[in-house]
Amino acid sequence: MAGKLIIQFSLLACLIFSLSFSAGAAEDRQKASSLLKEAVVLYEKGNYDRAAELLAEAIKADANYPELHDQLGYTLLKKKDFDGATNSFNTALKINPRFRTSRTGIGLVQYHKGDLKGAEETLKEALTLNPYPAMTHYALGLVYEKSGDYEKSIHHFKEGIRTFKGGKR
Amino acid sequence: MRKNILLLKIIFLMLMAPFCIHTANAQAMLQVGQAPPDFSLADINGKDISLKSLEKKKAVVVVFWATWSANSKKALKRFEEFYKKYKDKEIEIVAINANNQIISKDDVEAVKKLVKELNITFPIVFDDGLKTFRLYDTIALPSTIIISDGKIVYELPGLPLVGTEDMIDYLMTLAGEQPRKALVQKYKPRHDAIADTNLAKGFIAKKKYDMAYPFLNKAVEKDSKYMLAYVELAKLYEIEGKAADAENILKKALTVEPENVAVMTELGHLLITTGRNKDSITVLEKASALNSYTPSHYYYAYALGKNGQIKESLANFEKALSLNPYEENIYTLRAEVYTLNKMQKEAASDYRKALEMKMKIRN
Repeated sequence: MAGKLIIQFSLLACLIFSLSFSAGAAEDRQKASSLLKEAVVLYEKGNYDRAAELLAEAIKADANYPELHDQLGYTLLKKKDFDGATNSFNTALKINPRFRTSRTGIGLVQYHKGDLKGAEETLKEALTLNPYPAMTHYALGLVYEKSGDYEKSIHHFKEGIRTFKGGKR
Repeated sequence: MRKNILLLKIIFLMLMAPFCIHTANAQAMLQVGQAPPDFSLADINGKDISLKSLEKKKAVVVVFWATWSANSKKALKRFEEFYKKYKDKEIEIVAINANNQIISKDDVEAVKKLVKELNITFPIVFDDGLKTFRLYDTIALPSTIIISDGKIVYELPGLPLVGTEDMIDYLMTLAGEQPRKALVQKYKPRHDAIADTNLAKGFIAKKKYDMAYPFLNKAVEKDSKYMLAYVELAKLYEIEGKAADAENILKKALTVEPENVAVMTELGHLLITTGRNKDSITVLEKASALNSYTPSHYYYAYALGKNGQIKESLANFEKALSLNPYEENIYTLRAEVYTLNKMQKEAASDYRKALEMKMKIRN
């Protein structure tokens, strides 16, 4: 009888603990999500320093949220912090290996560092993973434009225009 | 029963209204008779000014402008002269700056400098991100819209010499003054024709084309001068591959208003797509000479380019860009012309710009 009570009590305690834990996690995700929204607005306005600060704060609240690392990657890319951007994109990919925009981000870092061959390979791979490929086509267009292959560049920019729908990048 | 149907129709129209604003004809500014979208934008001192806060004024003049546009400066100067005389008559002017997709510190400085130089006293606000510019379907800089009693009562793209003074006369009458010359009664489209056209546009957006035809035909019947209904009907025919019907309806519109630039441009565009390039050049040359309707310039440029007149084509694309550098169509069409002329590098650059614009990529 006592044993049964102990088991019931333990189960109840576990339930309360997991409920309060998931409530805390939901709160953290909510905080991170609202900081992400703010950071995106700042990013679009060109205020990259403040956007990066907000994203760092959001990551403290919820480090397992791949969108935060991805957005930080793009923000650091704008700040020309290529190593920082690569780390952020890789972290996003570690959390979710199929995270589509981070692979494109890595390709863009390679492009900016002048590694056109590497960028081409990464972006071609990203293109196969991506159901919303406009940004990847854009990045591939940049790579081919810089390498003087205008025909391929035109093809990818046009594909970007064709596939860009509803703001999906 | 009839009351209920009317009520349902009103509710449907109310639900459709914001949607219709977003899907408004990309080749025309918002039309006279439509409700203007609200905006709230920061002025040079950081204070927000909204359209709603000015709703008690007799009229609000909204001017889209940029420091790099010579005609914008002339427009601001002309409006300041008017404002000094008539601001006490409950006429407000709000000049919305559209210098760039993203307003930079340099843009703010350029605006402040110009405001000081021209001694502008009406509010100047910044449209960072060009959201309001796009909401109003602006096609040229400068562009002016007059709002009175919650409706758009006048719209003027560009700064045509005669048109601008006619607009000033119209504003004088709103201020309760005598105009300098007798005003020609300005055409106002019938409300039910506008409502039917908006309903049809809603159906077109949902690809329910069969449902759209009766509303557009009714709109044309109810108000034979309402050109937007003809243009939308022609576009619908085009979507369904009925080019001959589209051409007929546009030609019918031109019998009602022979010099309507939007209709002429749509016809010119249709003639290009059906391979009658020489005919399109004739129509579009006339349309582009009439006023600052940006699409007439870039379709004319495109037709010239397809006809091998590259020099004239590029000059007209430049003209279109000087009126509205935020129109991605200009870049895609010019890119096509470059491609036809084997100018691959230039074509790639223009396609890139068009995509950057579409995706709002900031460099």
